[in-house]
Amino acid sequence: MEVKKIVPPVLILVLFLGSWHVGALIYNMAFLLPTPYAVLQTFINDFTIIMIGLKQTFQAAFTGYIIAAIIGIAVATIMSLSKILERSLYPYAILLQTVPVVAVAPLIVLWFGFEIKSIIIISVIIALFPIINNTLLGLKSTSKTLVELFDYHNTSKLTSFWKLRFPAAIPNIIAGLKISAGLSVIGAIVGEFIIGSGSEQGGLGVQIIYAQANLETSLVMALILTATMLGFAFFITVSTLGWYLLHKWHESEQ
Amino acid sequence: MIAISKVSKNFEEVQALEEVNLDIATGEFISIVGPSGCGKSTLLRIIADLVDSPGTVKKPNKGAFVFQDSALLPWRTVQGNVELLMELEHTENKRAKAAVALRQVGLNGFEHSYPHQLSGGMKMRLSLARSLVLDPKYILLDEPLSAVDELTREVLQEELYDMWTRDKFTAILVTHNIAEAVYLSNRVCIMSPRPGKITDIVDIPFKKRTPDIRTKPQFSKLVNEIAGKLRTWK
Repeated sequence: MEVKKIVPPVLILVLFLGSWHVGALIYNMAFLLPTPYAVLQTFINDFTIIMIGLKQTFQAAFTGYIIAAIIGIAVATIMSLSKILERSLYPYAILLQTVPVVAVAPLIVLWFGFEIKSIIIISVIIALFPIINNTLLGLKSTSKTLVELFDYHNTSKLTSFWKLRFPAAIPNIIAGLKISAGLSVIGAIVGEFIIGSGSEQGGLGVQIIYAQANLETSLVMALILTATMLGFAFFITVSTLGWYLLHKWHESEQ
Repeated sequence: MIAISKVSKNFEEVQALEEVNLDIATGEFISIVGPSGCGKSTLLRIIADLVDSPGTVKKPNKGAFVFQDSALLPWRTVQGNVELLMELEHTENKRAKAAVALRQVGLNGFEHSYPHQLSGGMKMRLSLARSLVLDPKYILLDEPLSAVDELTREVLQEELYDMWTRDKFTAILVTHNIAEAVYLSNRVCIMSPRPGKITDIVDIPFKKRTPDIRTKPQFSKLVNEIAGKLRTWK
């Protein structure tokens, strides 16, 4: 990458950390606003326990993300088969997006127990809609000329799907997956908040609740940073996959 | 031969095509010219069975349809695109046939390129190659050369003429370009709009087409004659 591209964001980061550090020193209440250096120290000192949390959150978020991807693409495919199916199902897909998941989460925990299962389900609910919506958009916007070409050769619906509509929708599917990458981690953290309080050995969300109760602000911040990096890693992975699939032919990756 | 009888089309209340009857001899090259919205594209789609019509169209069963924007799959390479229609038609020996077809249109060496890396002319050559490789009895062409520049257009007309004389398919070409119709066709059908119907058919007497016939007085005379007949509808 060129130096010109790296310098501006790094400059912003240095500015941000610098003013945070100075601000924290002036404010001088470490339990409310620790310096970035203190957060880094906590991160190093509590590295083992943070990694245990990361592993649990990763498992829940990753499983939720994969399930959301499979269900999302499948539901969008079903909706794309006919106008009637789309009209019957789409409103509920929207409701899935508009329901305040934080409010529903306790109910899910009530039904599925204080287990990783509940966390995964909450993660799926949050990550699902962008995948459905973008996949559906992709499947519905196949070039009319190409559809005519396949129709002219009396191609079966199944062949048309695999050779035309699905590959044409891949750029949109990737776009949906990119949005959901961060959301699946958010979902897992929300789930862990609700399950919460139990022990300091839980996922990142559980540990955040625990550390907050103990006024360990620098640990809360170290945990937030770790969760942020997890979502970022998901995003980079999907972006790389997208680049690999699209860079040879699609303008979005050229 | 292709026999079109009593073909018409209404889009809701609007009559797009009034009864069209037309017989096209085997191996004939026929063009349909007319102003935008005269229904010439609809007529071509009725012949292709892409649009329903109360009339009947009798045609051989092996055909190909060539679209205006070359209709290539952007995620497939040149090789993948030239094999596409053979896949859809379950043709044997795809590899060997594809190689021959690509060589015929000068696209050998570009097998691994993607459509976005090709010029407009190359895309259309690829589109023609993947259709011809099916060994069709007839080809329907929907303004295939309207997206390329004027110089490439004349070269492609000459190439299309060579393909036609070599492979001896029946061709129906829809075009806006009168000179193109005159250069390529045995007969030119003139359509009028609202409702679309064939108002005139002009015979083109040239035995053999070479680029220099474009400069002959007889060529300009035919172009002007057809242009005159089209102008009546404006």
